Amino acid sequence: MATATAVRVSAPAPAGAPRKKRYGGLTPWLFAIPALAVYATFLVYPALTSLFFSFTNWDGLSPGYDIVGVDNYVKMTQDPVVRQALLNNLIWTVVTIVVPVIIGLALATLLNGKVRGKTALRLLFYTPCVLPLVSIASIWGWLYNPDSGVINEVLRTVGLGNLAQPWLGQDSTALWAVMVPAVWLRTGFPMLLYLAALQGIPDELYEAATVDGATKSQQFWHITMPSLRPAHYIVLALSLIDSFKVFDMIYAMTYGGPGTATQVMGTWMYANVFQYYQAGYGTAIAVVITVIAVAVSIPYVLSQTKEHT
Amino acid sequence: MTGSWTRRGFLGLSAAALAAGTAACTGATAPSGGSNAGKTPTSNNLRLFTYEDDTTIGNLKTAVAAFDAQNGTTTRVDSLPGSGAAVYPDKLRAELLGGSGPDVWRIWGGQIGAPFVKAQQAMDLAPYYQQYGWDSKINTNAIAGMTFNGTKAGVPIVVAAIGAWYSKAAMEKAGISSTPKSYAELEEMNDKLVASGTTPVTLGGKYGWDIMRLFEYLLEVSAGPDLHDKLLTGAESWDRPEVVTAFTNFKKWQDKKWLPNGALGLDPSDVEPDYVTGKAAYTLTGTWTEAQAIQSAKKSSSDFGTFQLPTGHTPERHSGFVEGYMIGARSGNPDKAAALLDYLLKPDLQATLQITSSTVTGAEPDKTKLPLSYEWTEINKTSPFYTIQDQAFPKQQADQYFSVQSDVLQGKMSPADAAKQMQTVVSAMAKQ
Repeated sequence: MATATAVRVSAPAPAGAPRKKRYGGLTPWLFAIPALAVYATFLVYPALTSLFFSFTNWDGLSPGYDIVGVDNYVKMTQDPVVRQALLNNLIWTVVTIVVPVIIGLALATLLNGKVRGKTALRLLFYTPCVLPLVSIASIWGWLYNPDSGVINEVLRTVGLGNLAQPWLGQDSTALWAVMVPAVWLRTGFPMLLYLAALQGIPDELYEAATVDGATKSQQFWHITMPSLRPAHYIVLALSLIDSFKVFDMIYAMTYGGPGTATQVMGTWMYANVFQYYQAGYGTAIAVVITVIAVAVSIPYVLSQTKEHT
Repeated sequence: MTGSWTRRGFLGLSAAALAAGTAACTGATAPSGGSNAGKTPTSNNLRLFTYEDDTTIGNLKTAVAAFDAQNGTTTRVDSLPGSGAAVYPDKLRAELLGGSGPDVWRIWGGQIGAPFVKAQQAMDLAPYYQQYGWDSKINTNAIAGMTFNGTKAGVPIVVAAIGAWYSKAAMEKAGISSTPKSYAELEEMNDKLVASGTTPVTLGGKYGWDIMRLFEYLLEVSAGPDLHDKLLTGAESWDRPEVVTAFTNFKKWQDKKWLPNGALGLDPSDVEPDYVTGKAAYTLTGTWTEAQAIQSAKKSSSDFGTFQLPTGHTPERHSGFVEGYMIGARSGNPDKAAALLDYLLKPDLQATLQITSSTVTGAEPDKTKLPLSYEWTEINKTSPFYTIQDQAFPKQQADQYFSVQSDVLQGKMSPADAAKQMQTVVSAMAKQ
């Protein structure tokens, strides 16, 4: 009988019933208050504070500052490093999404089949995702060493010494050189998500397609890919947000250099807030990064909301 | 623009509006720039923040523990070893913003320490200079390096000199029997080293400042002491032949392979010790390298040598900088913090701390233990120093300066354009 009572309580209110009653009154909000308090204190308040400081000339260290209106945002439009950083962000985002997603999908497809040692291989390909990023940056920094690094050594050994480069020491290659380890460490994430999604596709679909004479390629394009649509969406949305926020890998490997060749919005924000004592300008850059990241994530959040309402 | 606000005022207002959870943000008093001196201590706990190397931090902790035992204090020593001027000030700044910060912190002079004074985070130590007689105990030039717009906001402990430190084996292999006495001889030496299969000078440009040591030397050679100083203060235009010559020579050092391959992307901490391991002949660094690079690698100082880079000018100067300690304006016990600094400045303790270029009279390095560092004590007696350039410029301008150097080395900017660009950078700095 208790079950029947519970069903009655949670059943939708009839049309025309007061809104308060239909949504359970204040009770749900009481349960949400702890989470809302934490959210407001540690996310909303700092975010609003940052927004406020983006309209000031605060140096990030002094007790005083002046409100300068939108000066910091105007300055951003005239800052050549911001233009370069945005371009670098764009290149970074495209490369570090497209390449890991393609490789991750290929690996997932391969490791979802009958492959010997596939558990070990899955672990192997996912391992870079859990390694400390600073360690990865240091290791790749050594690999790229122009004289003693393995990459140039291998090129020299196989007779391609003319391709050996100071990879991190010149504008033309530095950003691309940092993207290689980024791709390497990010491939495991889409692979894992695709693997989970692939295992949810019923075998019957493939069996039926085989009976109908579909080739493996046709099965991939007409069964696998459409079935992976939700996974594509999650992978792309999360990767996009993650890519635009890039900071750590570039900071650790090149420090934004040579010159400003590998500056991205995150490192340029950091330089201004923490090194140049221009916290007002730096927080304005942070606000722009946030706005872009939020804009990118809105479709994903909306889609997730629709699925669960 | 409206009237001036205070950050804490804003935080206080916000905290009141939000009612809960944020009150802690307004708890500390505003920095007062020395007004704490002589007040009743709020705590006998001190915290000292430094970037002391792993090889010497133990000595500092031991010394501080002895001070605590004598003075009834409890001092925590935190270090960020090897972080350098590119990273350590950021960490310090974050700590100061996050609370009261350390009571005492080590910092470089010039434009690296200046922001902490300008922001009223560091105390004016003038009363303590008077109380402890530091003016008469400490190198006057070093005090000037820790004086900011007339405010003695730091106590200098190190007055460092940058010179060439070399491997005798590498020199012998190249048939070099004596150190260069002119810039032309230095170039000849580099050619001989390359011919012998050794990279002459090992520097890394990842953070800019290491490779800057070469350019500032070349500028001293081409411009001479008087003009060099005027360039650093913006009193003379950078768009001039002497600067173009310096940039031309700078490029020459790379083109003739006198620098490591791909030097711009190399981490200084990775490549500077290459003169000890034999991959390169020499580096441009200071006396700390004797303990931290040579002796920590279990090598004998007698296998290495050091010399002042020849400039061809009178006086013959070298690059140098000052490091010292500051006391936080919000320290709970500035008197004990000052007493700690006075304690650390004792000549015998300076030797224990392996400070090889002390600002304190009578704290010269032990000639038997650190013979090469001792040589620099003698050089310093006759050779003044010019301000190392990452301390001469605020960080933002220093980074722009490094960027120009990077473009010149990559051939993206001609020496003449680099000189013009530097003038733009320095002019913009003057307007700020």
